[in-house]
Amino acid sequence: MCGIIGYSGHRPAVEVLMDGLKRLEYRGYDSAGVAMVENGHLEMVKRQGELEVLRRALPRFEGRTGVGHTRWATCGRPSDRNAHPFISCDGKLAVVHNGIIENYATLRGELESRGHRFTSDTDTEVLVHLLEEHYRGDLRQALADTVRGIEGTYAIAAIHEKGEEIAAARKENPLVIGLGVKENFLASDVTALLSYTNKVLYVMDGETVSLTPDKVSLFNAEGTMVGREPSLVTWSAEDAQKGGFEHFMLKEIFEGPNAIHNTLLGSLDMIENGEVLPRTDFQAVKLVACGSSFHAAMVGKYAMEDIARVPTTLELASEYRYSLGAREAPLVILITQSGETADTLAAAREARRRGCRTLAVTNVVGSTITREVDEVLYTKAGPEIGVAATKTFLSQLLAMYLLAIRIGYAKGTLSHDSMRGALYSLRQSSNMVQSVLNHIHDIEEASHMIDRAEHCFFIGRNINYPTMLEAALKLKEVSYIHAEGFAAGELKHGPLALLDDSTPVIAVAIKGDHTYEKMLANISEVAARDSPVLGVGCEGDTELTRLCEQVIYIPKVRPLLSPIPVTVALQALAYFVAKRRNCSIDKPKNLAKSVTVE
Amino acid sequence: MKAVILAAGEGTRLRPFTVSRPKVMIPIANRPILEYVVRALAANGITDIVLVVGYMKERIMSFFGNGSRFGVRISYAIQEKQLGTAHGALVVRDQIKEEFIMVAGDNIIDAQAIADLLRQREGVSMLVTDSEMPSKYGVVQIEGGRVKDIIEKPDKGMGNIINTGIYRFPPEMFELLEKGVMAGKAGITHVLHSCISQVDIEAVRSTGRWMDAVYPWDLVRLNEYAFNLSGQETSGTIEAGVTLRGPVSVGAGTRIRAGSYIEGPVVIGEGCEIGPYTVIFPTTSIGNGVQVAPYTVIYNSMLMNNVSIGSHSHISQAVIDDGCRIGTGLSASSGTAQVRVEDEFFKVEKAGCMVGEFTQIGPRAVLSAGTIVGANSRVGDGARVCGTLEDRSIVV
Repeated sequence: MCGIIGYSGHRPAVEVLMDGLKRLEYRGYDSAGVAMVENGHLEMVKRQGELEVLRRALPRFEGRTGVGHTRWATCGRPSDRNAHPFISCDGKLAVVHNGIIENYATLRGELESRGHRFTSDTDTEVLVHLLEEHYRGDLRQALADTVRGIEGTYAIAAIHEKGEEIAAARKENPLVIGLGVKENFLASDVTALLSYTNKVLYVMDGETVSLTPDKVSLFNAEGTMVGREPSLVTWSAEDAQKGGFEHFMLKEIFEGPNAIHNTLLGSLDMIENGEVLPRTDFQAVKLVACGSSFHAAMVGKYAMEDIARVPTTLELASEYRYSLGAREAPLVILITQSGETADTLAAAREARRRGCRTLAVTNVVGSTITREVDEVLYTKAGPEIGVAATKTFLSQLLAMYLLAIRIGYAKGTLSHDSMRGALYSLRQSSNMVQSVLNHIHDIEEASHMIDRAEHCFFIGRNINYPTMLEAALKLKEVSYIHAEGFAAGELKHGPLALLDDSTPVIAVAIKGDHTYEKMLANISEVAARDSPVLGVGCEGDTELTRLCEQVIYIPKVRPLLSPIPVTVALQALAYFVAKRRNCSIDKPKNLAKSVTVE
Repeated sequence: MKAVILAAGEGTRLRPFTVSRPKVMIPIANRPILEYVVRALAANGITDIVLVVGYMKERIMSFFGNGSRFGVRISYAIQEKQLGTAHGALVVRDQIKEEFIMVAGDNIIDAQAIADLLRQREGVSMLVTDSEMPSKYGVVQIEGGRVKDIIEKPDKGMGNIINTGIYRFPPEMFELLEKGVMAGKAGITHVLHSCISQVDIEAVRSTGRWMDAVYPWDLVRLNEYAFNLSGQETSGTIEAGVTLRGPVSVGAGTRIRAGSYIEGPVVIGEGCEIGPYTVIFPTTSIGNGVQVAPYTVIYNSMLMNNVSIGSHSHISQAVIDDGCRIGTGLSASSGTAQVRVEDEFFKVEKAGCMVGEFTQIGPRAVLSAGTIVGANSRVGDGARVCGTLEDRSIVV
C-alpha cells in the first residue's frame, strides 16, 4: 500500500511532498522519505515511523523538484535503510516505487557482479541501479529501458540531479498526473493532489511519463507519444477514498470476504508443509492479546481445543506481562492487529524471558512485534481506516482456525481427510460472509430495535460467547450505547436483575450446536422479563423466530465456524445503530486505531 | 469525456447466477463483466466514470472502489428502483454537463468498440453490431448511416444489425429522456424510438467486439470468447509431473498437484487445490479457493469461487456457482437439451449443467444436459436430475 508523490514547479518541493504524503497516510505505511534536486545535486532523507519523525529530520530544503514515498513493507522489514527513495551508486539518480519486482533476486545478482553496491533488502533498489546503467542523458528513455527488463508490477518515479524532470512509469499500480500552471505533480492517488489542482491525467499500464514544470509527455510501450485530454475531478478527497460507501466502516465490513480469501492464501503450504509452526512439540498453547484481539483469542481457545485437542489458556496481555507464571512452557501466541500494541509487545518479551516459543498474529508486515517473536502469521486483511476493527478481526478469527488446523494436523489429532474438509469449510466462510452482506438490509431493519436503548446485553454460549463480547464492544465503540456481553449461563448470577422492557437483549443460537437447547431456554428467561430479544440464528430456524421479537439470519453453518458470519452480522448491526444515532462512526471519540501506549 | 455505465439491473433471466450478485458482477474468465467495460473505456483514455448502481450495489462498490486499481476515477449514482435504463440514465443528470458516452455494464466489449464511437463528432450516435441472434435484441434499420427504425425483439427477417446499448449523447439528451420517462417509456431504446423522426441518430458500425449473455447457458460461450481479452500470469506451486499446454494462468497460493494435465486456455484463480491427476480442457475458468479432487475431468466449464469437486467426476460445458460442494463421481455431460427459463422452453445445443450457489450434490449423482439446479439446493446420493429446479430444492 505504498504511496508515491512527485513535484516539479515553482514552490519549495518539500512542502508539496510532505502535504501529499500526509494525504496518502490512509493507505497505511511504516516509513517515509523524500529526495530532491538541491542546487544541482541530490538530497535525500528517509525515516522509519510516522511522517512527523521524517519532518523533524528534514533540514531546510529549497529545491523545486522532488519525489516522496510512504512505504508499507512487503519486501524487507521496515527500517531507515529499507525506506524509499533509493539513490544510485554515483549519487545522481533517485527512485521511488510502489509494487513488487518479481525478478529482483536475479537482477540484483547481476548488478552486484557488475559492481553495484546495495544498501537495502528491498526489491526496489534494483531499479535505481538499472536506471543508472541505462542513463545516457534522457531520464525517461532510461526508465523505459529499465522497466523493459522488469517482471512484476510498479508505479515508479525517478529524478536526476541535473534537471527539473521527473520520469515515471506504471504497470498495475495507480499513478496519476496533476496539471498546474508552471508546475506539475504526480501521485498514487488523486487525493494527494486535490489541494493544488483538480486537472488530472491518468497514466495507463505500460506507459512512461516525462514531467517538467511546463510540460507533461506520455509515451506508450513502443515509445510513441500519446495524446490524452485531462480529466476534471469534481468530488472531494474524502468521498473518493470511500469508493461509494458512506463510511469506511461499512466499506471495510464489505471487504470481509476478500480479507478471508487473502488470509487463506498459502494456507495449504502452512498446514501441509509446516511453513508456520514447523515443530509442534509443545504440550499446551497460551493465547495473549488485548481488546478485540483478545476476543479473537477466546474464539481461538475453543477452536484449538475442539480441532487440535491441545489444552489452551488465555490471558490479557496487560495481565500476563505482570503475572508470575507457573512452571509451564506453552507455545505463546500473541495477537495484535497493528503489531504495535504496547502491552502485547511487553507480553511477547515476557514470554521469551520465560523460555516459551512465541508466535505473533498481526496484519502489519514488519511491525515491531514481528521482531520480538520466533514466528509470524500475517492476516493480510489490508489496511483498515475505520477505528473499529472489522475485517481485521475477521481475519484474526481465520488465523485462529488455521493455527488450530495446523497444530491438529501436525500432532495427528486431525486426519488428512478432516484437514481438507476443515480447510474447505474455512474457504467457504467467505461465501457465508458474502451471503450475510447480501441481506444487510434486514440487519439495517433490525437496528430499529436498539437505537434508542441506553443499555443493551449480548448473550451467547460456547464459541459464540466471545463473539458476543466482541459484538458488545463494537456497539459501545461506535454507537456509545452501554453494551455488555455475557455467557448466557451466567445471566442468572446477576445480570438478569438489570433486565426490563427498555433493555434489548441480542442472543445468538446456532442450530446444531450442542448448547442450542440451553440457549433457547435462556432466551425464554429473558423474554419472560419483557426484554425485547433480537435473535441471531441459522436460516430456517423457526424455533428462534417463535421466541424472539426479530431474528437476523445467517446461512446454515458448522457451529464451530459460526463466529465468522455472526461477527459480520453484528458488526453491521453496530454500524447501522451508530448511523441512526448520528455518531462519528469512523473516528469514535477518545479512541485511537492502535494503542501504542500502556 | 465522461462515461456513464448502467449497472443497476439484476439480470433475472440469468438466475440462479444473479441470486447474490448483479449480472455485471458475474465472473467471466475470472473477471466481472463490468471490469471488461471499465478497461475498454480506460484504454481509450476515458477515465471519468459514473456507475449507476442499484441491485446489490455494494458488490460493485467493494470491487471497484474509487477505480484507482483500474487507472480510472469512479463515482457512483444510485438508482433505488429498477425502473428501466432511461430512468437509470436520469439519475446521473446532475453529474453530466457535457457530451458523454453511455454504456451498458452487462455486455463484454473491447477497446475498439469504444474507439469506433469516439471517432464520431457531435450529435447522438448509437453503436450497432451484427448478431447471430437478432431476435433477442433491438434490431436497427439503417438508411444513409442514420437509424431509421428500432424494432425490439423482432420475430425474424428484420435484419441482423442490433443496437449494442452503447451511445454517445450530448447533454441535451437528458431532456428527451425525461420527457420519455414522463410519457411512460422505460428503456433508452423506447425513448429513442419515439423520437426517431425528430432526432438524427447516427448508426456507428462496431469493428470491435461486443458480446452478451442473456441466458445461463450463454455464459460458457461468453467465457470462451473472453479469454482473448484477459491477461495471463503464472504463480502458485506447480508440482513436478504436471503438464501445462497452451495459455494457462495460475493464481497465487494455488497448488497444482502431480500428474495433472491442463490444456489452455484455462484460468485458475488464487488459493486453489487441483489434483493430483486432474484433467482440465479448454476453455475453462476456475475461481478462487476451488478444490478439484483426483481423476476428475473438466471440459469447457466455469467453476466460480470456493467450489469443491469430488474425485472421478466428469464435467462438461457446466457453470457452477460459488461454494458448491460436489461429491465423488458426478456425471455432468453436455448435449442438446430443452431448457426452461421463466416458463419458456429453449432448444440449446451443447448445453451442460448450471448449478446455483451453495448447492450440495451427493456422490454419484447424474446431472443431465441442460439441467438448472437453483441456489442452496441439495441433491442426494446417486440421484438423477434433469429439468429446471428452483432455489432450495431437495432431490433425494
